[in-house]
Amino acid sequence: MTVHTPIETRSGIPRWSIGLIVFVLLVGAAYVGSNLSGTNPPIAGAPSGSPGAGGDSAAALAIINTAGCKACHGPDLAGVPPTFPDLHGLQNGPTVDNLAQLGKTHPTDWMNIWIAGTDPAVSDPAMRKGMPAFGGAPYNLTPAQIETVVQYLLTLK
Amino acid sequence: MTRKLRPYDEPPRHRRSLIPNAPDSAALAFLVVAALWLVAATGIGVLAAGERLFPDLLKISFSIPFGSGIGVEVSQATADPAFVDALVFGWLTNVALSAIFFVTPRLTGRRLASDALGFMGLGAWNLAVAAGIVLLYVKGASGVGPLAEFPLPVKGLALLGLLAVNGAFWRTVLPTRSIGYVSLLYYGIGLLALLGLIALATIPAVFSLGTTNDRLLWAFTARGIVTYWVLGAGLGTLYYVIPRVTRNPLSSGGLALIALLGWLAFAGLSAVGALVDPSVPYIVTTLGQAGTLLLLAPVFLAVTNLVGTIRGSWALLLSPGSLQFAVTALAFLIATALLESVGALRSVQTLTAGTDWALGVSLLGLLGSATFAFYGFADHALPRILRRGYGGAMLAQAQLWASFIGVALASLAMIGGGLVQGSLQSQGASPQDVSGTLFAFRILAAGGLGLVSVAGLALIVNLFLLYTEGRPVEAARVAGEPLAAGQ
Repeated sequence: MTVHTPIETRSGIPRWSIGLIVFVLLVGAAYVGSNLSGTNPPIAGAPSGSPGAGGDSAAALAIINTAGCKACHGPDLAGVPPTFPDLHGLQNGPTVDNLAQLGKTHPTDWMNIWIAGTDPAVSDPAMRKGMPAFGGAPYNLTPAQIETVVQYLLTLK
Repeated sequence: MTRKLRPYDEPPRHRRSLIPNAPDSAALAFLVVAALWLVAATGIGVLAAGERLFPDLLKISFSIPFGSGIGVEVSQATADPAFVDALVFGWLTNVALSAIFFVTPRLTGRRLASDALGFMGLGAWNLAVAAGIVLLYVKGASGVGPLAEFPLPVKGLALLGLLAVNGAFWRTVLPTRSIGYVSLLYYGIGLLALLGLIALATIPAVFSLGTTNDRLLWAFTARGIVTYWVLGAGLGTLYYVIPRVTRNPLSSGGLALIALLGWLAFAGLSAVGALVDPSVPYIVTTLGQAGTLLLLAPVFLAVTNLVGTIRGSWALLLSPGSLQFAVTALAFLIATALLESVGALRSVQTLTAGTDWALGVSLLGLLGSATFAFYGFADHALPRILRRGYGGAMLAQAQLWASFIGVALASLAMIGGGLVQGSLQSQGASPQDVSGTLFAFRILAAGGLGLVSVAGLALIVNLFLLYTEGRPVEAARVAGEPLAAGQ
């Protein structure tokens, strides 16, 4: 037979708990207030080219981390303009002057050419301003890897 | 002179039913199965940690011969989800259901409405989890997404099991027509949430929502399962075990209700915080992450309430047993909530994305707070279910310390490793440098998980010895341990 053995409780709510609740709600409001606008990164594993998704983000982030892009462009790839350009908002073409011409001549694949850096049109050190040629040694990124990164960058608004 | 017995002189034989129907039989069955899952889960965890250390060496891929066309792959991609699934669905869910079936009759004063339904749930659920984990290793048989990978038939079986255990619980609780004690509220909400979330995770297998939406849905359900089910069942169990063991009344019923309402609100918001994608409005994700941040408050209130309940009985901490486990669970609980709050901040997320940090914090919550809460339950319930005295103090101590050191080592190594990994990656360190630096952290994590596996073995040995060599309940009572059948 099961014996009914309830647990006693002392009643009453400590006064400090009311203060804590108010404090917590204020902290929550402050957090939301300071993070009202921005863009979420893509969810890991979203397919390339699908609406609302920007390529295989997990793979892209792995390549970005491995290649060391964040060393110059920052952990959130927002850069330190003008020395290190912001990598957000590249959907409509280059945002820096030295790539304007490249964007006009190669409107669909200017990023691939620029990141690879092996095309003579973009290999001039004065033009590259320290940007490594990731298609060459020691990085040796394949065209497919560069495309993965490009698809990811196109999602950053 | 002896007289030969005729057939009708023989006493009627006692027929044993196929499904045990004694009180607490379902609770005991769930507990035994859970202990086996704990060892299996931590074993898979050691393998997963090994895969992180030597991803190429331990990557095994082969096809089953005789033209079956079935490919099998053992790699980091399969070991990580198998570990989390075995931990959450194998160990934690089974032991939580054991706690629910043990506690509910005692708080309501009614026998579990149907032990048979409980056993049906046990069979269906564990068959589904075992099949789902095996299918993770079969190429193309499972989807992708933490805690949501199982194929449709497996999820269907799991849902059947959950319907059965929900039926057993609600048929016991509803006729009492009262809200009852706070533990029952946590259990009821947790059970319904688990059923609903698994049903939600099944939708992509029936209607295609698009890959991104599927993944978002799975991210939501995975987070919801942890916040509503694992955290809820763990808190419900601690609210039962601590007043029982100390024999003190709960410090504050009002505070317990506020903490419950806070948990109810913020656990749901926290699941919304898992919706991280450009297709989700930024403000929605921010609100969800605020939920994760604020989940610290109800956890803090619950821990304060339970610590207040122990007041005056601290000496019990000196003897091995339930209270030691429960207090350790409280410490891990507050540490997990703090780290999850910190991890919810967007700046921290930028640093720790794609690193070992997230798994480290998960381990602290799943193997730390939840596991220790259920260790406390097991230590309290086993002598009462088996009606035998608990003589395994040394084994209980071994279980406590192996688990404590193992969990602390594994989770802190992964959290620290994650921070170092994020920091090195943001500085543009080469992958060789990152792997070399993380090697030491990952060795520690593998060692820690091995220790937790040893603790699981200690629980099984303790259970076996208690069953085979434990003293009857009266003898234990003389020794000073009150073991009234109903308590």
